Amino acid sequence: MTDATPHDNPIVLELQHVTCSYESGQPAIHNISFTARKGDIISLLGPSGCGKTTTLRAIAGFESVVEGTVLLNGTPVADGNHHVPPEQRRVGMVFQEYALFPHLRVTDNVGFGLNQLSAHDRRRRVDDMLSLTGLSEYGHRYPHELSGGQQQRVALARALAPQPVLLLLDEPFSNLDPDMTYKMRGELHDLLKKTQTTAVLVTHDHEEAFTMADQVAVLHQGRLEQFASPETTYHLPASRFVAEFVGQADFIPGEIHHHVVVTEIGDLPLPQGYQGSNQVDVMIRPDDLEIRGSGSGSARIETRQFRGSENLYGLRLESGRLVHCSESSTQFYALNAQVELKVKATHTVMFEQSRNS
Amino acid sequence: MSRTRFRFPSPLIVVAFILAGLITLPLLYVIVSAITADTAVWRRLWTTRIPELLFNTFSLALSVAVIDLVLGVSLAWILTRYRFVGSTVWNWLIILPLAIPSYVLAYTYTFLLQRNGPLEHAWQMVAGADAQIFSPFSFAGATLVMSINTFPFVYLLARSAFQNFNISFEEAARATGASPLNTFFRVSLPMIRPSLMAGLFLAILYVASDFGAMAMLRYQTFTYAIYQQMTGRFDNTAAACLSLFLVSCTFIFLLGERWFRQRSRFYQTTGRFRKPIPQACSPLQTLGFTGVLTIVFATAFGIPVFLLVQWTMDALAAGELASGFMGYVWNTISLAGITATLALVCGIPLAYLACRKQTWASLLCIQGAYTGYVLPGPVAALAVLVLVSHLMPELYGTVLVLLIAYLVHFLPVALQGMESTLHQLTPNLEEAARSLGSRSLRTFRTVTFPLVRGGFLSAWILVFVQCMKELPATLLLRPVGFDTLAIRIWLEASEELYQLAAPPALLIVAITIPVVFLLLKKVQEPVKRKA
Repeated sequence: MTDATPHDNPIVLELQHVTCSYESGQPAIHNISFTARKGDIISLLGPSGCGKTTTLRAIAGFESVVEGTVLLNGTPVADGNHHVPPEQRRVGMVFQEYALFPHLRVTDNVGFGLNQLSAHDRRRRVDDMLSLTGLSEYGHRYPHELSGGQQQRVALARALAPQPVLLLLDEPFSNLDPDMTYKMRGELHDLLKKTQTTAVLVTHDHEEAFTMADQVAVLHQGRLEQFASPETTYHLPASRFVAEFVGQADFIPGEIHHHVVVTEIGDLPLPQGYQGSNQVDVMIRPDDLEIRGSGSGSARIETRQFRGSENLYGLRLESGRLVHCSESSTQFYALNAQVELKVKATHTVMFEQSRNS
Repeated sequence: MSRTRFRFPSPLIVVAFILAGLITLPLLYVIVSAITADTAVWRRLWTTRIPELLFNTFSLALSVAVIDLVLGVSLAWILTRYRFVGSTVWNWLIILPLAIPSYVLAYTYTFLLQRNGPLEHAWQMVAGADAQIFSPFSFAGATLVMSINTFPFVYLLARSAFQNFNISFEEAARATGASPLNTFFRVSLPMIRPSLMAGLFLAILYVASDFGAMAMLRYQTFTYAIYQQMTGRFDNTAAACLSLFLVSCTFIFLLGERWFRQRSRFYQTTGRFRKPIPQACSPLQTLGFTGVLTIVFATAFGIPVFLLVQWTMDALAAGELASGFMGYVWNTISLAGITATLALVCGIPLAYLACRKQTWASLLCIQGAYTGYVLPGPVAALAVLVLVSHLMPELYGTVLVLLIAYLVHFLPVALQGMESTLHQLTPNLEEAARSLGSRSLRTFRTVTFPLVRGGFLSAWILVFVQCMKELPATLLLRPVGFDTLAIRIWLEASEELYQLAAPPALLIVAITIPVVFLLLKKVQEPVKRKA
């Protein structure tokens, strides 16, 4: 669905049914499989404790794999019996706290992984990396003399300097101020694309995953719930958990009658090939609805959140259920106004009814 | 790419297990020989010695604790909340008593407090010609010596607690109408209770495990009694029984301390807080504070060290410096240096395990290695002695036995220092190095070691100084004719040859002073980093 990666690029990273136990205090992961092609940015998305960092550490070689296989450029680097130590995998890693060596200057931090090169080549490579990350003036400084954003750039330069096969990033923006995060996201994305770096990025923020990644892997309780493009993840979530985790989602009950899904806010098309029970829960995203004609109608405006670029209305339906609807920033409805709702979605996402809803 | 099996931690675990086993073996041996002892031995000890020893140890610890608390808290309050001429200098001076080994302090006080001694003369000028003061060989004497030796523990912990105190709590109390005195007793003091308890526990443990001062002052506590059983009666079984009793008490005491610490954690309610600003003092206050500080300092450090200097000069003038003095210095330094190095080498795998691989196996190893903590010097000596005489009698009377005892006794000191250093180092740094292609050894050499060097060095220095001062184990296990500085002090002081005991004592104090300042810097460091 994205324009970024042609699908004939070689596969760089492949996880086949990877399982790690929680021996080392990290959350366990079960049966994780996905692939990354050259130049792809993959995002591991999920709440804390879902195993996304464990997955990252298993790829890097800091966690041992109990079952399944991790392949880098087609070569297995970890399975139940064998384990290539991290230093031989040529995988770069940017840590959450950056882990810059506090006793080394910026140039020595960046050059740390280049000790195979001659002094001259090393200096050239370090200079290249520093100018690439915009740090040329800071080479002589120590990490504690840099701002958070600069420290992150050093960590990035250090990880990229040895030209790793794959770059791993563990929540790289969590230590930055929100406005800085915004800027750094764009910078990082451009840099990764410019250098054609294959990267795996861990985050708990779906917005970050969507803006950065070509493919999103959503993890929940150690299992992979969905592996798809950001658009697919948002519009066609594979599970209730994914639906709720990647954005605002309301669920209303529906019943299948003659190839349509009948709900209290209108009829929706039945997805092709659906074969399940007739009682379903339909997922409603705020942008699936629009408000028509105020003054009369069965829904009552209960809340309004002004978000700058949009208004998010909470509407109480006749049945007492609450759904959300986003309207343009200038579209104003008074609280408690009775309005009519119209479904504008072209596709239907639904799940078999669970007992508790 | 080469493939290797991922079994990196195993050699580490094996080494740690062997080390922990070796360290705990002597203690286990003592426990076994105490448990298998004839019940008649136990009955005899229970009816003749144990009640008296328990009473002596407890009453001394309690009275020392009370004095420490009063001295430590009031001095800490004065020096953190008030600003007067010399207050920063006093901050450094007041912890100097820690640099005097307890037996050196005890021996100067046997001179000061003796019949017709300088203090009695001084007292007679005030209270009349027939007035007497307490003997050094009494409960009062032991209490005095031990409390002026240990109050800096309470002082240091109280001071850092007062410094990190969120002044808003006091202001909140004042705003509700509480007087300053009321605020101090109802808010400030209760809030630093965890630190005070930690300081007190340290002081009490010190009193219960002290041998040198107790023996000098002939005050019967467990450690002294164990020593007497071993040397006077050559009854190692009875000594083992007393040791088991003492070790069990210490163990229960430590468990109690841990329980208390977990229960009473107070948190500052917000991340940011206002620190207290010291108040300027009036001349009268300055005079009062300086007076108090001078008296405490003189009693605990000034007068004893003045005496040592004077006696040393007398000895030098009279040409009485023992002929083998340089030999004793060499014995002491080489023994302490070897022990500190060994402790560091043995401690590295254990400390690394404790910080990086927390499994039940590593926990067991660490706890095993820390048993040296509950072993007072004579007990450690007894343990090693019993073990060696059973398993390798040919080693008895060699320096090796002494080294083993030192290691068992002082490994915890090294371990504690190294563990806290390693804990400050995030494992991410090592992982970052490895992800950049650096092997374990290069990672240790270029990343880990440069960052822990300082902390490891101070652990080494702490062990060195403790070894240098060590008396009971050395006394019991040294080869014939192998004297250290501590032994010379003990031998000369026992004969009341004050001048001859002074030079080695002064040397030990002089070497210890910078180490005490290092300790103070370490106590202050975390405070600075947070600010």
